Amino acid sequence: MAEIIKEEKTIPDDNFRKNAILGDNVKFSSDFDHHSKGEIVVSIKNIHKEFVLGTNVVTILKGIDVDIKRGEFVMLMGPSGCGKSTLLHIVYGLEPPSEGSIYVEEESIWDHSKNWRAFFRNQYIGFIPQQAFWIKSLSVIENVAIPGFVAGRGYKESIERASKTLEVVGMKDWAHYRPFDLSGGQQQKVAFARALLLNPKFIIADEPTGNLDQKSGIQLMDLIKEFNESFKITVLMVTHNPEQVGYASRIVKMVDGKVQSDLTDRAEIETMKNEA
Amino acid sequence: MADRVVHSEDTNYITEKRPKETWRERHTGISLAMIFYISWKNLKVNRMRSVLTIGGVALGIGIITFLLSIGFGMQRMIVSEVTKDNPINVIDVSNGNLDSIISLNQETVDKVKNIEGVQKVERRVNTGGKIILGESQTDVIIYGTSADYLNMLKVNYQGNGGKFSDSENNAVISDRLANLLGFTNPYEAIGKKIVYNIALSRDVSSKINEEKLAENNETTISGIAMNTDSAYIYLPFKLLEDNFGVDSAQEGKVVVGDMEKFDKIKQQLEQTGFVTSSINELIVGINSFFDTVRIFLIVFGVIIMSISVMGMLNTLSVSLLQRTKEIGILKALGTKRMDVFKMFVLESIIISLVGGFLGFFGGYGFALLLNKGLIILGHRMNTELSYFVYVPAGFVMAIAGFVMFLGIITGIMPAFRASKIHALEALRYE
Repeated sequence: MAEIIKEEKTIPDDNFRKNAILGDNVKFSSDFDHHSKGEIVVSIKNIHKEFVLGTNVVTILKGIDVDIKRGEFVMLMGPSGCGKSTLLHIVYGLEPPSEGSIYVEEESIWDHSKNWRAFFRNQYIGFIPQQAFWIKSLSVIENVAIPGFVAGRGYKESIERASKTLEVVGMKDWAHYRPFDLSGGQQQKVAFARALLLNPKFIIADEPTGNLDQKSGIQLMDLIKEFNESFKITVLMVTHNPEQVGYASRIVKMVDGKVQSDLTDRAEIETMKNEA
Repeated sequence: MADRVVHSEDTNYITEKRPKETWRERHTGISLAMIFYISWKNLKVNRMRSVLTIGGVALGIGIITFLLSIGFGMQRMIVSEVTKDNPINVIDVSNGNLDSIISLNQETVDKVKNIEGVQKVERRVNTGGKIILGESQTDVIIYGTSADYLNMLKVNYQGNGGKFSDSENNAVISDRLANLLGFTNPYEAIGKKIVYNIALSRDVSSKINEEKLAENNETTISGIAMNTDSAYIYLPFKLLEDNFGVDSAQEGKVVVGDMEKFDKIKQQLEQTGFVTSSINELIVGINSFFDTVRIFLIVFGVIIMSISVMGMLNTLSVSLLQRTKEIGILKALGTKRMDVFKMFVLESIIISLVGGFLGFFGGYGFALLLNKGLIILGHRMNTELSYFVYVPAGFVMAIAGFVMFLGIITGIMPAFRASKIHALEALRYE
């Protein structure tokens, strides 16, 4: 995990619309400059997952093999119960696989301790759940700063960073509200800001627009896409919504615990989008 | 890059020796200040619940403090009253009913003085007599003693600058005697010469074989012992010794210089044949009584605190249920189990400490207020009352330690449960 914490550099001045607001203080990882775009960052190897329900053993994942390259926007799609979210949780380090391995930057995350994975999630991955979860006693900005607190950073430093991140997602005016005072779309934008706080290399999103109206959903997807393209942040997202396929650079379709199709061809993705 | 490169083809990677993991050094977790901040904010957001829980603890600690501060205060007041006129380092000795066997003559006094740890020995002889002043005469008790003995007795005597000289022919008489001699104002008797007859027997003088009365002896009144209810006169022991051959006393006071040897000296005096008594025995009795009272108060307090503890446990359990999703997201974002544990324990400690602080000062303040009220009431009824509320430093420390302990113990169970919650289960919790 030597790569998790590494030298940081200032955001490039070019194609980022919020750069003027951010100034020089907000920093993002520079490693993208040094790696080829084709580098595999997440390797899902022969993942099986079984759940024991009473006396029955239910197999959810039946040997998933997917390699995700740096900067990809991968959408996991498929019918309910096909194992998309379970796979996402296994990659995120929350749910152990029954069999198989997850390699993130060539590190097998399930061969480490719980605290190691906690550190890994905190430092490496930005997480956007379907429903934003909040510490209700804290304000919006304090909630955004939580990954900073968890990393052991001080209040002031984390809040300053959260303020900049909120500005990036256009939610700075709501910084001192309670999260539950915000609409669903606003809450998801704040959740995205929280996911971005520690400059993750990888964003995992579990149906982030599932509870949003169409307009809010589009706004959030635009935002995620913008960060994916501008900073080559790898995105792994579960969605049910076929209208969102246009945002992806790759569509992994799952059926009954297996990968049914894995589309990377732009034309094929566009066809899917048009069909939707 | 990674500390170690593992290839998927490498089937033996699990058994390979891994480099030492560095997360311990890196993942410091949430700082204690931030955990405190989050716990505090959580208590603030659930204001009513927090106030009621803290109030429960405050009430429990307040009642304990109120009762014990009065208990300690009463004990201190009584002990102080008892020891006011009786120094604790003095052993009273007398020959009791064994006057034929032992008496406080010069030989035994010297023997007692030689006991290790004894600082001083003073004695007092008493016999009967008569005082004559002009036409007035009255029967009295005549004491022969020293100025030091009077000081130890804390006799409140006045006159001639408040002195009673061992080497002069002078006397201190009780104000009651002065009244009987015709002085409405006892102080008018000071400086007057009086005549006294003194009864002498073998009990007080080894030189006498049969009882006799030494008559028409003169002395000058040098002081008045105030607030007395009997007629008596103090004469210097030396005067009685020189003039009438008095050489034995019935009672004495042994001053102990080294309190560690107090019990041993007392034991030796008893072995010599003296009957001993000291204020220490009374104090031990008083302390024992208050210790018993305190045990009852503590049992009572434990019952009250049990109710407070149940309130705290209830609050923390409800908080745990309400915050399950919060715990889930915190863990999903990388919070360590130990940090979640600390969060709940700290919340419990905050409740306990704030409740303890308010309870202690509330209970103590209320006791002081009650005390003050009774003193004012006493003044109106011409009764003098003193302060009977007192909290020893040890008790303050004990209360502080107790509330800290309470906070930790009460917080451990919910904290343990919270820390064990699985992040995904917590996020799915409804």
